Amino acid sequence: MAGSGRDERAWVRRAQAGSASDFEALFRAHWGPAYRAAYLVVRDAAAAEDIAQEGFLAAIRALDRFDRRRPFGPWLHRIVVNRAIDWARARALRPEAEQVDAPAPERAERDEELLAELGRLSPEHRAVIVLRYLLEYTPGEIAELLELPRGTVNSRLRRGLDTLKERL
Amino acid sequence: MRFRAPGEEEAQERTWAVVRRAYEEREPVAWPRRHVRPLAAAALVAVVAAAALSPPGRSVVHSLRKAVGVEQAEPALFSLPTHGNLLVTSRKGLWLVHRDGSKRLLGRYRDATFSPHGLFVAATRANQLVALDTKGNVRWTLARPAPSRPVWSGTRTDTRITYLSRGQLRMVAGDGTGDHAIGRRRAAVPDTAAIRRRGGQSEVLDRGRVVFRGTGSFEQAVRSPDGRWLLVTWPTADQWVFVRPGTPRRIVGASRISVQFGGFPRVQGWCCAG
Repeated sequence: MAGSGRDERAWVRRAQAGSASDFEALFRAHWGPAYRAAYLVVRDAAAAEDIAQEGFLAAIRALDRFDRRRPFGPWLHRIVVNRAIDWARARALRPEAEQVDAPAPERAERDEELLAELGRLSPEHRAVIVLRYLLEYTPGEIAELLELPRGTVNSRLRRGLDTLKERL
Repeated sequence: MRFRAPGEEEAQERTWAVVRRAYEEREPVAWPRRHVRPLAAAALVAVVAAAALSPPGRSVVHSLRKAVGVEQAEPALFSLPTHGNLLVTSRKGLWLVHRDGSKRLLGRYRDATFSPHGLFVAATRANQLVALDTKGNVRWTLARPAPSRPVWSGTRTDTRITYLSRGQLRMVAGDGTGDHAIGRRRAAVPDTAAIRRRGGQSEVLDRGRVVFRGTGSFEQAVRSPDGRWLLVTWPTADQWVFVRPGTPRRIVGASRISVQFGGFPRVQGWCCAG
């Protein structure tokens, strides 16, 4: 679970000062959402791991310049989701054997169906749905994260949800 | 939405191992940047003055002038004597040097290699192998712990990059796919001539023959893509010396290399004949 805004600012401040335990707290709080978001966009566990890892490595490189008044999560998710979209687009241009990972055994059948259909949407539509319904960003925040007009975010959400509804 | 992606915990621990190491290796900005430039300038003045005035400094300058066939050492690197571009790394990062002497800082990378035709570059930073075009645009990245010594080989249509990651030799296709371990051997190194130290002097040997000699230490002797020239890097004299061992022998020096690259650079590659 991500910590409160105050916790997070304290972790960032102390991580900037060199506290490994605070950096670990920041990592543990944000790993899950970042990895899941990447996975839902790329539908490949190994690629999602690489993408989430790159997001954290980018965070380390920029840590000293990071503005502590801003929340860490959206900044990390912007990197991760944009890279995931790039990866998914490149993958679409490079046909190869389908490598979708087997779903976790405890996942409900309905969830499997939903995730399978999500995987059939375009990377751009997948990304806004993941940001909206997994990471719970508002359309305005998604527009800022992906540097898109708000109307584009709304139309992608609407179109993505309509497609899912039709298929399910 | 309650959802867990496959292998989440294992992936988290693997990533934490890489990310923790990167965090431990980072260099926090502890000193206000505004102090750095004046201090560096003062230090540079002191070093240059000491080098010029001290007996070893004078000896180095004298040695270069005395070397048989030395044409005037240029006050800066204005051009390369033959075809190809150089790839070098310094404290500032990775540089691409064109034949006309113009250069471009590609970014903060450590080791680098040209693709077989010199169209792309593979470079490493703390925990990434990165493929770039020659303008510095990133084509793909691969997160791996402590990658080093990349070597890019193959043909125009089928290339691969071998590199070391924590002592393990790995290989990835030129498009960034199919990364896998191939053993624990050392990566191949580009063709270089031999350097020998004798007393306070260094010598460059090409096919068993001494082709250049100077005071202090030579660091590298790198062959040009057409095989006719050697670039001898000479930190003691803060010079690059281009030596053509054939007949007639030619030696062309370029001075003040550290100032031009922000620290004395290491040559990573010289590519390609054209």
